[in-house]
Amino acid sequence: MKKAPHELREIAGWMAATGIGFLELRMPGATVRLGRRGDEVVTLDDGPRSDEAPVAHPPGATNRFGPPVDTVSSASLGEFLHAHPCATAPFVRTGARVQAGQMLGLLRIGVLLLPVTASRAGTVAAVRVEDGATVGYGAALVDLHPL
Amino acid sequence: MKLSTTGRAAPTLSLLGTTALLFEAPGAMALESQQRIWALAKEATGWPEVREAVPGMNNLMLTFVRPPRRLAELKERLAAAWETVTPLAREGRVVELPVRYGGAGGPHMADVVAHTGLSVEEIVELHSAPLYPVYALGSHPGYCYLGGMDPRIATPRRQVPVLSIPGGAVSIGGAQTGVSASAGPSGWNTIGSTTMRFFDPARDPPATLRPGDSIRFLVEGIEA
Amino acid sequence: MIEILSNAALATVQDLGRLGSLRFGVGTAGAMDDLALAAGNLLLGNEAGAAGIEIPVFPFKVRFAEDCVFALTGADCGARLDMAPLLPWWSHRARAGQVLTLGLPQGAQRASRAVLCLPGGVDVPQVLGSRSTQMRGAFGGHEGRALRKGDVLRAADPGRACRTGFGLVPPAIALPLDIDGLVALRVLPGAEYLGFETASRAAFWDGEWRITAQSDRYGYRLSGAALRPVAAMELRSHGIVPGVIQVPHSGQPIIQMRDAQPSGGYPKFGTVIEADLWRLGQAPIGSRIRFIEVDWDQAVAALEQKQAWLAKVARMVALQHSAPTGVSA
Repeated sequence: MKKAPHELREIAGWMAATGIGFLELRMPGATVRLGRRGDEVVTLDDGPRSDEAPVAHPPGATNRFGPPVDTVSSASLGEFLHAHPCATAPFVRTGARVQAGQMLGLLRIGVLLLPVTASRAGTVAAVRVEDGATVGYGAALVDLHPL
Repeated sequence: MKLSTTGRAAPTLSLLGTTALLFEAPGAMALESQQRIWALAKEATGWPEVREAVPGMNNLMLTFVRPPRRLAELKERLAAAWETVTPLAREGRVVELPVRYGGAGGPHMADVVAHTGLSVEEIVELHSAPLYPVYALGSHPGYCYLGGMDPRIATPRRQVPVLSIPGGAVSIGGAQTGVSASAGPSGWNTIGSTTMRFFDPARDPPATLRPGDSIRFLVEGIEA
Repeated sequence: MIEILSNAALATVQDLGRLGSLRFGVGTAGAMDDLALAAGNLLLGNEAGAAGIEIPVFPFKVRFAEDCVFALTGADCGARLDMAPLLPWWSHRARAGQVLTLGLPQGAQRASRAVLCLPGGVDVPQVLGSRSTQMRGAFGGHEGRALRKGDVLRAADPGRACRTGFGLVPPAIALPLDIDGLVALRVLPGAEYLGFETASRAAFWDGEWRITAQSDRYGYRLSGAALRPVAAMELRSHGIVPGVIQVPHSGQPIIQMRDAQPSGGYPKFGTVIEADLWRLGQAPIGSRIRFIEVDWDQAVAALEQKQAWLAKVARMVALQHSAPTGVSA
């Protein structure tokens, strides 16, 4: 199902305010691609695809076909780690129950490791980014179903 | 044998990692060489690359502030200074130490007997006869390396170092003798014991003795 | 302020060492893992060389008598604050009454010592320019001795309120150096290196060396191929530094460590370079190590690489500490 035009405008407006050059929204049954033409943000019919690139969603996006999802986003450019470099097990797996403030992963920025924590209690719906993948500011990292 | 610019045997320079440079004077162990080492230490102390100049037995270790950019130039400067410094003839104090030779305080006397072929009495007489100049401090806080030991009682360092000998232990290692200032491990042969406060960290300088002082061992007793 | 709850027979207060008193027979002492100490200090906004607590034996427990930030680096030892597990190489916030427990070093790491840093550093007097514990002679650090149950230690800046809750990629991962899975150490050949037989020299570089149980802060006694001199060498006593590899008559090398005598008379095969002393300081008893021959330029480059890593840590931690709340995680 297509996104309503006003929702697309909202997303395009948000994108225009960032440095993001390409945005791909995947939903059940439809994919919308937004790109830049000059200063404008436009929908693309056959835009560049990058299956590896993390997809940016505005915070608090709603999957209208399922329960509400709280998305934890990246605070910076860096690499998202599922586990501490000294550990073998990841912090969380899909389906895990987490408390507010619980560690979901780490953001590695050069020599630094910053915590990525749950803003509130919930269960892990999806880990959106592969272990070690480079993410940009605002990239969706972990989806939580709030309790 | 390498010769220096003056035709004398050349000193040996070697590295201790990137942390220090070791300078070894050529020739036989001698007080005059040590006086030259003291002078070299005094000169090198002022060099910007040098954190500390640490005399040893006819040798000198220079620790670096940081690894020198021009190491070869520093080595040349050191070798040149060795040729030109005036030996420092220090007139120090004479300190007398009463020693109980042998017995429980001298557990390795038998090894010195075995190596030298001398009797305990002969070893004690030869050890207590000289006036020993303090060449340098090292090993542990306040410990004095002494020159002037009779070569007839020289005994090689032990195959396996001993884990702990007490402060006050009088020992022979190779051609040298010394007195421990505190308990700790040692590879030397302990032949007697004495009591003396060699170090106080609150004092300035903290060590009781300094290069140029001398020690005389007094025979307080000989135990079997 | 913290109270030691364990009988911590070998835990000592250490900074980066007592420099400049070698000519009085005073060795440097200092942290066996100087990189862990520096990094832990930087995480709290301390000077890199502030005094910390080196903990080589576990379990180890302290109680915080007041609210306090702290950093834990070095070996990952399953630390807990009360029941909450703590990440290693991380800064934390303790509330008055909480107990910090360090368990055994765990995981695939080959590390054996933890370092606990306090805000402003551990507040003990300087002696001869350093807060490191001088064991032989019993001065410096906390009363010149290892820590005991009941000891109380103060932080120099206990009320410091810096941002905590972040950490560092451990240097064992950021600056790796190993051969066939064993910790490797770079060595500069020493004065007596060529005085050893060719076969012995080859065996040193090619072989594995086990750190025996007779190893401690004074020296690591290694077991492996016997190193044979071409002719017996009897040296005059001379200054040495931590990292010097001595070969006594037995042919089994002893690496002089931080509490070693500042002078010695055994033949010097080589010196573990200053840049790698932290790796050696972490190598556990019973583990095997390898050696890599380097020259002066390589050794200096290694030191610069280590210092560059610390400089990066200092810069990035400072950014975290100064960032307004809400911008960083």
